[in-house]
Amino acid sequence: MSNATPKILENLLLAIAQKQDREAFVKLFEATSSRLKAFAMQCGATSNDAEELLQECMLTVWRKAHTFNPKTGTAITWLYTIIRNKRIDFARKGRYDTVLSDDLWNDEGGTELENDVSSDLDAKVARTLLESLPDEQRQVVYKVYFEGKSHSEIAADLDLPLGTIKSRLRLAMKKLDTLAKEQMTWLIIILTMNF
Amino acid sequence: MANYHPNNELLMSFAAGQLPNSLGIMVACHLEQCHSCRQQTHLYEQLGGELLGDLPEETVGTNVLSRILDRIDEPVSAPSLATLNQGDLAIPRPLRRFIPGSLDTLEWSGMTKSIREFDIEIEDPQFKAKLYKIGAGKELPEHTHEGNEFTYVIDGSFADKTCQYHEGDFILADTQTIHQPRATMDKDCICFAVMDAPLKMTGIFGRMLNPFMR
Ligand SMILES: [Zn+2]
Repeated sequence: MSNATPKILENLLLAIAQKQDREAFVKLFEATSSRLKAFAMQCGATSNDAEELLQECMLTVWRKAHTFNPKTGTAITWLYTIIRNKRIDFARKGRYDTVLSDDLWNDEGGTELENDVSSDLDAKVARTLLESLPDEQRQVVYKVYFEGKSHSEIAADLDLPLGTIKSRLRLAMKKLDTLAKEQMTWLIIILTMNF
Repeated sequence: MANYHPNNELLMSFAAGQLPNSLGIMVACHLEQCHSCRQQTHLYEQLGGELLGDLPEETVGTNVLSRILDRIDEPVSAPSLATLNQGDLAIPRPLRRFIPGSLDTLEWSGMTKSIREFDIEIEDPQFKAKLYKIGAGKELPEHTHEGNEFTYVIDGSFADKTCQYHEGDFILADTQTIHQPRATMDKDCICFAVMDAPLKMTGIFGRMLNPFMR
């Protein structure tokens, strides 16, 4: 991923979806596996569990590549949803009363979130989301995503008042909303220029 | 269209796949009804994608790829429980498989005649989940909440002193909220409610939510 651009990842995924292209699959593995494993470990997995999860994730990528729609988001966002869901389902097999990722998200739909701008461009605009957050806000967002901690647990972790955590998170969200709106404006401008 | 929505903190945690089970199901119910919350969640998924792309790389064992390639032609295993989709279509899809049979034939148990309840079995150490049925035009005694309570309106509508809630609405009440809900006259109101479990355990017990802490 370090050197694979969003467009390269997208093309690999599309080749897997359309032609069951194994070579593309191997390339995608090489470009993304070290970070997919890192994701699992950030969430608390041991190295072994993380590799097991990585395997499940890549098998799902192979089987579900056809559900990737470049018009609704980038390849990395799609990969994120796959590894996120695998993490939820990990170690829960066979229990009827527990919640599985399929309960929370279904594969269908999503076309309403489509836009017609090339996803390469879309990714360039989107890429700023994370970069725009100051470190202290990023740290709280990070804990929300990877550690699943409540605000008070995060406060205890960082030895900061609860109010500080809440306001950092709120500031981060506000920033994201502003950026998303700007992104929308840009997309509209680009669309109008195209037609 | 829903007028009351989960807040952004909840949507972000949902996109992160980190909400406790019952609450996750409730947010998923709302998302099926609400375009703007779906969009907002998608934004947080994009952020998740960026976080993933930004992680420091971990070395992957040399045999992992070959183990995957060995399994790539395996037939797909049985469909997940969640996609079997049995149950009453009047129940939102994410909740459906946790409710046996249909809403009409459920074995409601009574608190009073005007309000009936049904315990939902969702594995969740932090929250318990229930269905409530408030009889048409019936009013509940005024009460406050000991902890957080989240309510999702499945059918019908109810009102409290200040607001009226309809199908698809997602309502958060905390200890500050005084509640005196009354179902509207025309029909029974059925709600999905998730509340702090009476024994409130965080720490070690809360950690069990994390599937890696086995
Ligand atoms: Zn909403």
